[in-house]
Amino acid sequence: MIEIILYDGLAFALPLLIIAIGGIFSERSGIINLALEGLLGFGAFTGAFMVVMADHFLPGSQPYGIYIGMAFAMVGGGLFAMIHGLLTVYYRANQVISGVVINILSMSLTAFLTRQLNAIIFNAASNRFQLGVADRFTLPLLSEIPVLGAVFTKVYPFQVVILLVALLAYLVFEKTPFGIHLKASGDNPHAVEAAGVDVKRVRFAAVMISGALAGLGGISFAYSISANFNPMIYMGYGYLAIAALIFGNWQIGNTLLAVLFFGFARSAGYELAKALEMSSTFNDIIMTLPYMLTLLILIFFSKQNAAPRALGEIYDKGKR
Amino acid sequence: MNDSSQAHSNIRDPAGTLAVALRRITKRFPGIVANDDISLEIKEGEIFALLGENGAGKSVLMSILFGLYEPEEGEVWIKGKRMSHFSPREAARQGVGMVHQHFKLVENYTIAQNIVLGMEPVKRFLGGVPLVDMKATNEKIRDLSHRFKLDVDPLQLISEINVATRQKVEILKMLYREADILIFDEPTAILTPQEVDYLLQIIRELREGGKTVILISHKLEEIKAVADRCGILHRGRLVAVKEVAQTSTKEMASLMVGREVILEVDKPPARMGETVLKVRDLRVLNRDKVAVVKGVSFEIRAGEIFAIAGVAGNGQTEIADALTGLMATASGRVFLLDEEITRTGVRERNLKGISYIPEDRQSYGLILDYDLSYNLALKNYFKEPFSSPGGRLRQEEFSRYAERLIEIYDIRSNRGGGSVVRSLSGGNQQKAIIAREIDQDSPLMIFVQPTRGLDVGAIENTWSQILKEREEGKGILLVSLELEEVMALADTIGVIYNGELLTVKAAKDFSKREIGEYMMGVRKDA
Repeated sequence: MIEIILYDGLAFALPLLIIAIGGIFSERSGIINLALEGLLGFGAFTGAFMVVMADHFLPGSQPYGIYIGMAFAMVGGGLFAMIHGLLTVYYRANQVISGVVINILSMSLTAFLTRQLNAIIFNAASNRFQLGVADRFTLPLLSEIPVLGAVFTKVYPFQVVILLVALLAYLVFEKTPFGIHLKASGDNPHAVEAAGVDVKRVRFAAVMISGALAGLGGISFAYSISANFNPMIYMGYGYLAIAALIFGNWQIGNTLLAVLFFGFARSAGYELAKALEMSSTFNDIIMTLPYMLTLLILIFFSKQNAAPRALGEIYDKGKR
Repeated sequence: MNDSSQAHSNIRDPAGTLAVALRRITKRFPGIVANDDISLEIKEGEIFALLGENGAGKSVLMSILFGLYEPEEGEVWIKGKRMSHFSPREAARQGVGMVHQHFKLVENYTIAQNIVLGMEPVKRFLGGVPLVDMKATNEKIRDLSHRFKLDVDPLQLISEINVATRQKVEILKMLYREADILIFDEPTAILTPQEVDYLLQIIRELREGGKTVILISHKLEEIKAVADRCGILHRGRLVAVKEVAQTSTKEMASLMVGREVILEVDKPPARMGETVLKVRDLRVLNRDKVAVVKGVSFEIRAGEIFAIAGVAGNGQTEIADALTGLMATASGRVFLLDEEITRTGVRERNLKGISYIPEDRQSYGLILDYDLSYNLALKNYFKEPFSSPGGRLRQEEFSRYAERLIEIYDIRSNRGGGSVVRSLSGGNQQKAIIAREIDQDSPLMIFVQPTRGLDVGAIENTWSQILKEREEGKGILLVSLELEEVMALADTIGVIYNGELLTVKAAKDFSKREIGEYMMGVRKDA
């Protein structure tokens, strides 16, 4: 049972992690990103659409479907995030309002487009894109390690991709000049401007990256939870990712711990329900578990939070 | 050749010894002309001071040189090359560096990271990915700081270092970029006298090293001490360029203000009366429950100016806040005219006789979006005649009262009592607060940083108001970071360091140097 909790927990935690890292990119550059929910949804929509297109027009592409999906989910999420970037960075819109509006826009737009595209291209009346099954694999030797072997058991392909992307993102964030400028922009944009770096460009890029990473997380959820894209993708995981990055104090390492906690809390809840032989109608209450925990932890963590100093501040070059 | 014709000359520069040439620069902002047809030449290797009142256009002119603003008219030439494109990056490429008045540092980065920001040394990872080479960076910064005798620890976080070190970091930032035209915008405003001496020494050494230094300031002694030449701005126009050695500070001051100024105060001997304020063992805790005022005791008599001198953040504002009731007193007792007020509320203290001119005028002194007449009645609006017994406010009384104060205290605004206070200049906002507080006729007046950010003319005005109140027999507590001000006004001086009054003595028994040493905590009374 502990193994199930481990590998199911990981399958949930990793997509959440990559979405939260997206949020960190945006927020550490100084732009509040409440749009993660909408971005992950739009990314998943784009990815899923390309998967069914490939399946339809390129027979034989099915085994690579999940990779096509991931690639285009990142593109879609990144492009959709440009709305948030343009509004908040270049037109100085209120960041909270922009984020919330993008969430609503994404939800209705994808619902509309899914029906229309299904009708026009596939002659089907459906509000979902059916994805292929993502085969989970188990690594031969490593998986036999007691308990910890579960980490290498029933792994979704997207988990490996997410890990690689997360490592790359970490490297960019902590070690490259771009990452250094990004974090500085969230602390004191005037210092960055005086150093001859274009703050707006840095922030815009950060928001786009956050969209791409959220899209990657979104398509992974689409594969692992329902194996199709439908409006159920908007379950609030974007907000959960925001909670995770805040508990993680806007740092990637700590955020990893937070998402693991959420992931294991969720899978442990399911296992608990199973062990107690509760009927599946109780699933809904189990699914509230991570959110209940969020509320609880909030009490303890809120005090010591150190948000980026310039977070939410509209940057104006002329201001002194 | 007289000064103004030299300032407007348009000679070519055949020898190439000009670091900067500004030709007929005009920069407008909505409603004002910040720089009006300014032509100026700065030679290579000199220390050139730019002098002017607040709002005279010094910072704007230098921001143009630094590429933050683009002028509407005129040309900027740097080392014989005309600037075609205005951005900090371009200016930096031409060798212009600037230490801003408000430091531009990233708090949660190290000193080294701040210095190299935007120009990080990079090594390639896996043949392509550019990674910042922190080890090389730290080495480089350590070398650089040794070379220019500006020793800093590259690994320290900005949030952990004091203002003097922050300023060193800003200077190192310019030197790292190999700037050779260095602009300092009001660099000494926040430093202790010892730190000022050290900074001026650094500036001299930079000149010896072949750098051109432009110093923006309104402090005449400093300009006298280091500068070779100075340009004087008045209301956006360049009124003169002078050789500093042959110009008296008095002449510079009158050119800058546009009239004669007398900053030597005429202070009659004190006639002290009964004790107005008695503070016993005052302790104040900050929000984190840390003691910031640690057992302070002092007394102020009628007709006495008691000044608390010290470096910012040593507990002096907290003393003022505790006396006015804005902060809670943790322990100790406070007596106003022999009546204990330790636990009394703010309004009651006001009514019992405390006037307060706060440091942060815009947050604690005024309601910026209210008009002047409301702000002037802010401490009385609930009383007759402003409020009728039924609680209705009488607009006409506000206007009448405002008219009277505007007249007496010469508060200048666009629409008299009806002008929104936000639209007043800083000096006139301060006049409004002082007018309101003096008119309370309180036995105790607390002035915190009363001349911060004011220019010479307004300083002169404020000082004479304070001295007049002293003559009237008020007890006056003056909290100031400006040693000049403390020395000019105080009868008694207490020096605060780390929440404790290290010493209290009559002002005439102190030398400036001595106070400076107490301020740094290097000297203590036995």
